[in-house]
Amino acid sequence: MPSHLGIYASQISGHLASASSYESIATVNVGSGGTTSITFSSIPSTYAHLQIRGYSPSGAYTNMRFNGDTTASNYRYHYTVATGSGSLSSGSAASTAYLPVTGGWGTSSPLAMITDILDYASTTKYKTIRDFEGIDANGSGELYMSSDLWMSTSAISSIVLSRSGATFGQYSSFALYGIKG
Amino acid sequence: MADTFTLIASSTAGAGGVTAFDFTSIPSTYTDLVLKWSVRQDLSAVAASDFIYINGSQTSYIGRWIEASGAGSATSYGYSGNFTYANPEGNGANSTANAFSNAEIYIPSYAGSYYKSFASINAMENNAATAYVSLGANLWSNGSAINRVTISTSATSVTGGAQKFLQYSTAYLYGVSNA
Amino acid sequence: MAAGSTYTKISSYTLGSNQTTVTFSSIPSTYTDLVLIAVPFSTQAGTSSNTLRANFNSDVSSNYSYTLMYGDGTSAVSQRGTNATFASFGSISQTSATAPYISIIHLMNYSNTTNYKSILVRDGRGDEYVEAWVNTWRSNSAINRIDLTRDGSNQIKSGSIFTLYGIAAA
Repeated sequence: MPSHLGIYASQISGHLASASSYESIATVNVGSGGTTSITFSSIPSTYAHLQIRGYSPSGAYTNMRFNGDTTASNYRYHYTVATGSGSLSSGSAASTAYLPVTGGWGTSSPLAMITDILDYASTTKYKTIRDFEGIDANGSGELYMSSDLWMSTSAISSIVLSRSGATFGQYSSFALYGIKG
Repeated sequence: MADTFTLIASSTAGAGGVTAFDFTSIPSTYTDLVLKWSVRQDLSAVAASDFIYINGSQTSYIGRWIEASGAGSATSYGYSGNFTYANPEGNGANSTANAFSNAEIYIPSYAGSYYKSFASINAMENNAATAYVSLGANLWSNGSAINRVTISTSATSVTGGAQKFLQYSTAYLYGVSNA
Repeated sequence: MAAGSTYTKISSYTLGSNQTTVTFSSIPSTYTDLVLIAVPFSTQAGTSSNTLRANFNSDVSSNYSYTLMYGDGTSAVSQRGTNATFASFGSISQTSATAPYISIIHLMNYSNTTNYKSILVRDGRGDEYVEAWVNTWRSNSAINRIDLTRDGSNQIKSGSIFTLYGIAAA
């Protein structure tokens, strides 16, 4: 083998796929009355990455939990937010994983979010979640880039999004996609 | 239904790590490229930059990015020179153990004749107040079709230098087709 | 759980001549989200880029608004636009530029007929600005048409590229 073995990796996987690598796994559409949680369960481990694409006519802090792990100290959250003027504030919170857009914007101004988790099925890595989301209500609103950490080397097999003191309103829709690797 | 979003190649660092992920001989048959990578470096720091090189070139890069560190206000940085700061703050060895960054670039029209603009979005997590999210706009001022993309640990060497991406670091190259 | 390949090209334009408007029409309602990738130039002279505008379903009334974050290499700031007559899909390079702005535009739940429409945008050019936007179109109509224009009397330049993809949820 070349002397530079292990120095750099060069297109070694041979994954010359012929089918689409982007697949829909499951969707939750919220009906009348709303719901306080969105659950994706039995997530297959056969993809490399997950993407959640969400739309909700009402915004509120959304908590995110994986595999039923409710141990708060296993989570961490960081963010930056644009609020329509001035600088972008940045912050963090321990013991939580948020999808951060807050509520109070009215049911007509929909939240849009795209959340990406790379190597979600890894059994050697903690899980870093990247989120891009926002809501604009014609004179108010927020635009976030945020990240979360789930400190577990377990493969993600379930995801629960939940709101406290608020619901995901009717017509909310959250779709889970898998991206092959 | 046409296959639009297709894995071209992927790579995982084995024991001992690697100094770069080097995607070569990229076919020109797609429209856009998407590169996703989840890495951790052995640099003794909380954060370590990942550098991108196009076609092995070490000239004509310029970029702007927004970066937030978990406190205060986000700021914006710029660079120009011999590399792309595609993930300006990835995980270094002093970040929380087992945490790997979540990074992505999107390169439209990579085989066309325009200068190559590409967008980056990154998250580096750490169980502490300081961690980083960033959003970048990058430009390689060269009209050549892209046939090689390298993610490197070095600002001076395409194939990496003293630092390594640690075992379990991964990189994935996708093609998006508008055919 | 059902699974299915998705991420489908709907239509694509590489302009062979300067155009005042680039139109995606008769957009099917069968997807969940749309993704538009734009590599645009304008015919505007001078040294400044400007805004790539979008109107939905021929609506040119003041039914659009946005919240924006952008960085110029020194400062990261936020802005807001209200009661606008168009959505902002990022910036577009002037005619003399050698590099395009690029925009990645996500039109989320575009075909719902019960709520307003929310659009996330990331765009930038390495020697100018990096930007992210959330736009709202205050209409409960499904988006079936997108008109892209440049502000002022300028046009979208020959060679600009726009591709629309559909993503279908299970």
